[in-house]
Amino acid sequence: MKKLVIGLYVLLTVALMVWGYYQAIYVAPNDAMQGEIFRIIYYHVPSFAVAFVFFAINLVGSIGFLVFRRDFPGRAQIADAFALAGAEVGVVFCTVGLTTGPLWARRAWGIWWTWDARLTTTLVLWLIYVSYLLLRRFAAGSQMQTLAAVLAIFGALDVPIVYMANRWWRTQHPAPVFGGAAGSGMDPSMLGPFLWNMLAWFAWGVMILAIRFSVERLQQKNAEAEARAALEG
Amino acid sequence: MDQAAILDHQFRVAAYVITWVIQLGYLTWLGLKWRSIKRAAKQ
Repeated sequence: MKKLVIGLYVLLTVALMVWGYYQAIYVAPNDAMQGEIFRIIYYHVPSFAVAFVFFAINLVGSIGFLVFRRDFPGRAQIADAFALAGAEVGVVFCTVGLTTGPLWARRAWGIWWTWDARLTTTLVLWLIYVSYLLLRRFAAGSQMQTLAAVLAIFGALDVPIVYMANRWWRTQHPAPVFGGAAGSGMDPSMLGPFLWNMLAWFAWGVMILAIRFSVERLQQKNAEAEARAALEG
Repeated sequence: MDQAAILDHQFRVAAYVITWVIQLGYLTWLGLKWRSIKRAAKQ
């Protein structure tokens, strides 16, 4: 039954990705000002949306680990696996956003990169979570998970700053398309394809997150079994 | 098709291809990691 549900979810996700691509390329019109390059929005914005949600999962998992680590070690390990999965998959999506962004910028602005508030805080966000992953990879000892959880809490503070950067400061990056000033928004002919791609990328992200979580749980169980075997001699 | 439209098309294709290379590359890495952990568990 479990395998059937997983198989159906994977099929649904692949179907959504194909449908999202069809919508982005064949249904959505070219932008009146930017032409075809505007279609990068269907991959660029959902990637950052997924990254932000997964960094929030990392925050919740990290807090969970700190809360449970003394009295409920089993729950703490589950929370820690969620935290790691959230950060790692979040970094993957953030990397996609940070590589598709300059490609769009080169055509729209004539430059690959500028140190405005939105772009700089996003790069800092990526660096924070890459350092979180490096800490987890290379730090040794029993305190590693605790240190990583504390770093994750500080790292999460940058997420709302990135989100608000083009509201608080004047930036090269465009003003918010959704929830921005009067007149912001998207034409209905583009909104449908955009929402389909948002749904597709979230479905893909959840699938990858679930795989990463399972891998980490498997690794934790292996480590526990090895420790038990070593104690038993 | 003018030169600007051709460049727009090439940049858009590059963005989509890079996205899928990153996503599928990560998925492959996860698959390899899963397999090595399973092997280690059997041993």
